[in-house]
Amino acid sequence: MTLPGDLVISGLGLVLPCGDGVEAARASLASGAPCFADLPETLGQGRGAACTSFNPTGIIPPMQLRRLDRASRFAWVAAHQAFQDAGLDPKAGTQGGGDRIAVAVGTMTGGSEAGEAFMRPYLQRGPEGASPLLFPSTVANAASGHLALAFGLKGPSATFVDREGATVTALEQAARWLRTGFADAALVIGTDGLFPLLLDICRGARLLDRHGDPEVGSGRGFLPGEGAQAFLLETRARVEARGTQPRATLRALVGRSAAGSDVEARAKALAQAVDQTSGEGRPVRWIGGSSGLERLDALETRLAANHPDWPAPCFPKPLWGEFGGSGGQLLAAALLEPSDLTLVTAPASSGTQFALCLDGVRLKQS
Amino acid sequence: MTRVVVTGLGIVSSLALDREGTWSAMLEGRDGLGPLTRLHLPSEPAQIAGQVPLGPLRHQTLCERMALLALEEALDGFQPGGDPARIGVFQGAGTSGLPTVEAYLEERLAGRRGRAAQPAYQSPCTVTDALARRLGAEGPRSTIMNACSSSLLALGQAWERLATGELDLAVAGGAEGLCRTTYAGFSCLKAVDARKCRPFSRDRAGLNLGEAAVQLLLEPLDRAMARGATIYAEVLGYGASMDAHHPTAPHPEGEGAARALAMALRVGGMEASSVDLVSAHGTATPANDGAECLAIRRALGSAADAVSVTSTKSQFGHTLGVAGAMGAATTILALRDQVVSPTLRLEDPDPICDLDCTPLVAKERRLRAALVNAFAFGGNNVSLLLARWGGA
Repeated sequence: MTLPGDLVISGLGLVLPCGDGVEAARASLASGAPCFADLPETLGQGRGAACTSFNPTGIIPPMQLRRLDRASRFAWVAAHQAFQDAGLDPKAGTQGGGDRIAVAVGTMTGGSEAGEAFMRPYLQRGPEGASPLLFPSTVANAASGHLALAFGLKGPSATFVDREGATVTALEQAARWLRTGFADAALVIGTDGLFPLLLDICRGARLLDRHGDPEVGSGRGFLPGEGAQAFLLETRARVEARGTQPRATLRALVGRSAAGSDVEARAKALAQAVDQTSGEGRPVRWIGGSSGLERLDALETRLAANHPDWPAPCFPKPLWGEFGGSGGQLLAAALLEPSDLTLVTAPASSGTQFALCLDGVRLKQS
Repeated sequence: MTRVVVTGLGIVSSLALDREGTWSAMLEGRDGLGPLTRLHLPSEPAQIAGQVPLGPLRHQTLCERMALLALEEALDGFQPGGDPARIGVFQGAGTSGLPTVEAYLEERLAGRRGRAAQPAYQSPCTVTDALARRLGAEGPRSTIMNACSSSLLALGQAWERLATGELDLAVAGGAEGLCRTTYAGFSCLKAVDARKCRPFSRDRAGLNLGEAAVQLLLEPLDRAMARGATIYAEVLGYGASMDAHHPTAPHPEGEGAARALAMALRVGGMEASSVDLVSAHGTATPANDGAECLAIRRALGSAADAVSVTSTKSQFGHTLGVAGAMGAATTILALRDQVVSPTLRLEDPDPICDLDCTPLVAKERRLRAALVNAFAFGGNNVSLLLARWGGA
C-alpha cells in the first residue's frame, strides 16, 4: 500500500515474555538471551516463553481482571502504555477523545484460551458445565471490545486472524482507516496468550522444537510465546499538535500473496513485497520473522542470499517465541533501536507475506 | 473514488444451495429452520437450526466446501485474468475452524491421541486461502473475526481497496457451519429460542443458529462494463463503530449502531431520505431488536418512517460470521427485483420496533438504496450502503 508519508507511530506499549515495557524489551534484545522455560501447568506442558512477570496492578481493575482472558489482559496493559507513550488520554477528551480512534487487532489465539476453558467442562458435564461468564471471551475480537470499554474508543474495529501476519494485516487496515478519514488515530494491537490446548496441538502436529532451543535455519521448529504489542498510529500533524514526537514514520507497507502455499511461491511473494518497498533504499536494520520453523525460515534465508549487502537480520522469535498472530513483536523490535531505515519482513505459513519500512526510528523516554 | 459494483453473487443456505433458489424461497415465505441434526446435543433445550444439507468432504471442511460452492456460483463461469496481484480475497469468519478443535479436544478428554494436524492447520484463514487458490489470487488477503459483523466488514474492506483503485477484482464474504461452542454458548446466555425465532416480535425470546456461505464478486464499474458483466448493485460505502458500552449487550439506545449507519451514509454521499430498505441485524434477542430500531431512527431521522426493514434471521437463523454477507446478498437481490423479503413469524410486533418490519409476506416497492447492518459481541457495528443498479 502506498502510504502518504505522514503516518507515524506515536506510541508503543509492550508486554513480552522478557517483561512489561519498552526498556525490558530493549534489554532483552540487546542481551540476546532467550526467554524460554518450562511452562506452568496452567499454560500447558512443555517449554515456552510466558509473560511470568506480567503485572496489571494499577492498570486493570481487579474486578475486570478476573473476567479477562490472557490475550485481553496483555492487550489492555500494552494499550495503556502506548497511550501514555503517545501523551494521549482518550478519556480526557483531548483531540476528540476516543470517538475517532479505531482499534485493529491481530491475533491467532484470541478467544481460544477461553474457548478451551468453556468447552472442557461442557464436553465433560454437558450444559451445566457451560459458563455464561466465559462464553463472551471465546470470540477472537474479545480484546477489541475490552479495549473499547477500557479507553472509551468508538471508531471502527477489526480483528484479523491471518496466521503469522495477522498484526501486520491489522496495521495495514489501520493505515487505511486513517488515510480514508474513517478515524483520526488507530490503536494497533498484536496479542496472543498461551493455553494448554495450544501446546498440545502444536506438539501433536510436531511443530515445536524438541531441543527447547529454537534456532533459525535449524528446521527443528519453534517454541510458543505470548504477549501483546500496542502501536498508536496517527498523522504527524496530529502528533505534533499535541507537542509530542513520534517514534517512527511508517514509510511503506506491502503485502503480496502466493496463490499456493509452497515455499517457492511464498518466497517469491515475500521477495516481491520487499522489492516494492525497495524504493526506500538499503535498510540500515532488518527485522525478520524466522522462528526455527523451516517453512518460515526458508523465505528469509533466500532473501538474505539475494541481498548480501544488507545487514544481518535480527530475529526476535527465537528470543520471545512465536505468538501465532505475531508480526507485532517484529514491529516492536524494529522500534527498539534508532535507525534511519528499518526493514521488517513478516513471512507467513500461508496467505500474505509482508514487508514494511520504518523511517527515522528514534527512542524516547517512556 | 472508483465506483464499485457487485458482479457476482453466490449463496449456499439452508433454503437452497444456490442464489435464485434461496431468494425465491424467501419471497415465498419459507424458512430454512428445522430440527438440529448436525450436532448431537440432546441436553440443549433448543433443537432448531438452519442447516445446509451438505457435509464435509475427506479433504474439505464444511466451511471450505460451502465457500467454494458459493464462489463458483458468484463466478458463473467467469475466469478472472489480468494481474493476479490485483485480485484480493476478504473473508469474515465467526467459528470457522472450531469444529476441528472441538473434535480434537473431545478425543484428548477421552484419553485418545487425536489428530493434532487438523486443528493445527485448519484455521479460519484456511477458507480464505482455498478461495485465493481457486482464483489464482496474489493480491491482499485477510480473514476478519469480528464475531457476527465479520463478513460485512470484509465486504467493506473489499470496497475500500477497489474504490481506491488498488484492485481490479475482489471476492468477499464468509462461510459458517454449526459448532458446539456457539450452540452451548448462546444457550447458556439464554439467548437461544427453543421455538423458531421471531425478530421484532413482542414475544421474541432469542435466536436460532444457522449455517450458510455467501460470496460476492466486486469490481470497478468501468472494468465490469468493459467485460459486459451482469451488474447486480453498486456498493457506495460502509460505516463501522464500537459501542464502548458492554462486552456483549448492545447500547440500549443504539448509539454506536446509529453512528455506523450515519457513517455509511456520509461515506456514500447519500441522504437518509434516499434509503428505502434496511436489512437489519435483527437477531430476535430481546436486547438487539429494540436497540436496532432506535438506531435506525436515530440515523435516518424522519426518513425512518418510510423505510422497509427486514431480518434474514427469520429465514436462516443467525449465521454468525456470515450473517452480514447474507444480509448484503439478499438486499442486492431485493434491489434487483424491487421486492423486500419478509420477516417471518412477525405477527405481534413489539411497540418499540415501530418501523415497517415487513411482517410475514414479501412486499413489492420502489427500492433505490439500502443499508445492511451487522452487529457483534464487543459492540462492533458495521453498516454497508448499497444502491440499485440502473445503469451508469
